Amino acid sequence: MTRAIDMGWIGCHTCGTVHEGDQTHCRTCSATLHSRLPNSLQQTWAWLITGALFLIPANMLPLLSNLVLGHNEGHTIAEGIAIFFQTGDYFVAIVILIASLLIPFSKIFVIGILLLSIQFRWQLDNKTRLLLYEFVEFIGRWSMIDVFVVALLAGLVKLGAVISILPGTGAICFALSVIFTMIAALRIDSKLIWDAPAKDTVE
Amino acid sequence: MTDHDKNTYQALFDHNPDALIACPACDTLHKAVPVRAGHIARCTRCHFKLMDPKPDTLTRTVALSITASILMVTMLCFPFLTISQAGLTGEVSMLEIIFDLSHGWYNILAVMVAAFVLALPIVRMIALIYVMWPLHQGRPPPPAAQQIFLFAEKLNPWAMTEIFIVGTVVALIKMMGLATIGFGTAFWLFCGLVVVVALKNAAVCRWTVWSLIRKSPS
Repeated sequence: MTRAIDMGWIGCHTCGTVHEGDQTHCRTCSATLHSRLPNSLQQTWAWLITGALFLIPANMLPLLSNLVLGHNEGHTIAEGIAIFFQTGDYFVAIVILIASLLIPFSKIFVIGILLLSIQFRWQLDNKTRLLLYEFVEFIGRWSMIDVFVVALLAGLVKLGAVISILPGTGAICFALSVIFTMIAALRIDSKLIWDAPAKDTVE
Repeated sequence: MTDHDKNTYQALFDHNPDALIACPACDTLHKAVPVRAGHIARCTRCHFKLMDPKPDTLTRTVALSITASILMVTMLCFPFLTISQAGLTGEVSMLEIIFDLSHGWYNILAVMVAAFVLALPIVRMIALIYVMWPLHQGRPPPPAAQQIFLFAEKLNPWAMTEIFIVGTVVALIKMMGLATIGFGTAFWLFCGLVVVVALKNAAVCRWTVWSLIRKSPS
């Protein structure tokens, strides 16, 4: 196993083209070249902490408020899931439970683990690294489901006299949290994850 | 890692730097051996997909991108959902849903829906057509092809058509108790759009495009 960095070369982060160490832009895809993304850890931590902070009001404040005949009833993400379980809409309850609670929290947790594993050069086995990284790369965006649900409900129900549904502040905080953690995931330089020697390979 | 490996890689690099590929995910060097269409070359260390040539990647991507952009524009002109409640029936298109939402701070939500569901997917389609149509015609790459294809690739995680359709289904089930909801023409067009966009993304072979728009080593 030889890495580009061992040869003094730079491998493009987007397309994999191999360059001499003195090049600044990729000749294939024009991306800026870095052997390792500068300040990748600091940037990821910053976006991740911002995302985690926004997740707090996102879960405390109402996601939606239903104005039924002038009576205002708002509910948070967790209350919304509970309502669906009570009314027997198990499909929706499970979709929202996964997309709005499990994915956002586990994603922040997994990015945190990845960052710590880079910082302290934990020797994880290759399978774990791959799983963790793919999880944050591909799963995070699905959390936007709930934001779209809120937007649709609010946009649809405009028969104002009887019912109207208004987005709550929680929805904005939730959307921002999803966006910030998506940016955090994109700022991780996965090459750093693989720089520490693996537990399961003998070199 | 042995000196023998290093010498082999150095010789290959001196001969032709494009004969090597460094895994974008883990930096491990590989020889860039051409792969037959339909086969996948993965990184030996981290299993990242290095090359997955698709048959007719240019033709398919251009055709599917054009289809998807036509579906997208048509979809905007038709009602997305119909709502009847207490004897009142209304129709709303996607644009109306977005405009109804844009009051005060709800604007943030309106902008997010407009960007993630409509604008970014269509920008990505246009960028792919711009880069791949001339290549398909056997002409040289268009100006700024590298930058525009790079941009299209970076947009990928932010184009959320498929997530929106799941959101629509959830919203409909949520609404069932409150009003009677019917599907408008645009809803079915949108379902078609999600399928076409998925096929389009699966048809793009980055490796093929990158090797067509690469500049020779300076």
